[in-house]
Amino acid sequence: MNQANSTVMSSRSNWRGLVAACAVALLGGCVTSQVQGVRESNTGIREGEGVVIMAKSYHLGNETEAKFIECVGATVGRGSGGLRVVPNTEFVDALFPWFEPRTAPADTKGLPALMSRPGVKEMIAEKGVRYIVWLDGDTDRVAGGGSMSCAAGPGGGGCFGFAWWQNDANYEASVWDLSGLEDAGTVSADVSGTSFLPAIVVPIPLIARTQSRACKGLADQLKLFIVDEDPV
Amino acid sequence: MSHLRKAIMLLASISMLAACGSQVALTDPTIPEPLIAKLPMTVAGRYPERFDNFVHEERVIGKEKWTIDLGGSNRILFDQLFGSMFSSYTVIDAGTDASDLAIDALIEPSIDAFEFSVPNQSQTEEFAVWIRYRIRVFDKDGNQVANWPISAYGKALSTTFGGDSALKRAAVLAMRDAAALIIMQMDKSTGVSKLAQANRGGPLPDGSPPPAADPTLLQTTANEDALDEPGK
Repeated sequence: MNQANSTVMSSRSNWRGLVAACAVALLGGCVTSQVQGVRESNTGIREGEGVVIMAKSYHLGNETEAKFIECVGATVGRGSGGLRVVPNTEFVDALFPWFEPRTAPADTKGLPALMSRPGVKEMIAEKGVRYIVWLDGDTDRVAGGGSMSCAAGPGGGGCFGFAWWQNDANYEASVWDLSGLEDAGTVSADVSGTSFLPAIVVPIPLIARTQSRACKGLADQLKLFIVDEDPV
Repeated sequence: MSHLRKAIMLLASISMLAACGSQVALTDPTIPEPLIAKLPMTVAGRYPERFDNFVHEERVIGKEKWTIDLGGSNRILFDQLFGSMFSSYTVIDAGTDASDLAIDALIEPSIDAFEFSVPNQSQTEEFAVWIRYRIRVFDKDGNQVANWPISAYGKALSTTFGGDSALKRAAVLAMRDAAALIIMQMDKSTGVSKLAQANRGGPLPDGSPPPAADPTLLQTTANEDALDEPGK
């Protein structure tokens, strides 16, 4: 009887530990973010018009992650006020070779010459692209520390220690309006997140989702910026 | 030793050998149809034998051996590219005498060098590929009128595509880069369209005389540094 009670108690204790670990993990690490926009001209978007999300050329030293570009494109395209997003590979292939890393216009001054090339204006109209959003920036690990050691033996294993690291995600989105061939403005997101990994037998990761926070912040602000609504 | 043990040891040896090398094969670079106006001229192309089976091997010091097999993808690239650039383009074999053909120009592309770097070498998460092509242009009489080296570059993140796929993607991007550069600069750097004008007689559209018969006067090399700036 006593042995049975002990087993039940041990099982409950394990469950509580597991639930607590999951709750702590869901809390995540600490993240601070700042998203802001600078408007150069009036924007707005009509039915049938869309946007394309592109990375600035790696020939200019840009290292924006493909995963981040996909995330911004998906987030801009869904939810309330979601815009029509033309997949960037489809856009780049349709306009080959004018948006390759080597040939893409570096600023809006190059747009009139680009639009005068045979078929370019017509293809952009066919794709229904009103805005090009150029993403620049990346996520870097800027600091970290702590130590952790793990061991395993015939009776089991475990870890002990504490580690932490800080990631900074700095991205800027330049919005080009192809209807007026002008720079509509920029939206930037600066997000800093610190992740922790305490371990007493079992490591409990408290991960700061820095890049996804930057993606969501930038994409939400871009939607408001393009439809020309002030954030509430 | 039992047969089973022998088989297991053989399998283990094979898998260890396989782990020491990576092989990437590229069958089709899938270059999109360029959005350009064709030059109204009849051109023939002649490819080197290695365009049909180009294989590059590189052993990363102290690490694994990488093999990239481009197969016939260079032939596909130049077939698509020149087929889109000129109103008439045919490929001739090594035994055909170009002076017997009614053409305005003969183009002979070749590969001078192929290089790549893997994340272990660059200490980044990137695979990068450099291809140096050489484009020789001959007039209808077989005189060489241009000898143009070009450098193309592509890079892809291993975190996005995975190791082998990232190297393949970087190679495709390098080929697209070469195609973009050739479309943008070939006529300016080799004067190929002037050959058609000269064959039809009379002054050129810009008022300049037809190309000189002395090939040394028309030898050209690309100013690669100047071409590496995007959007120009």
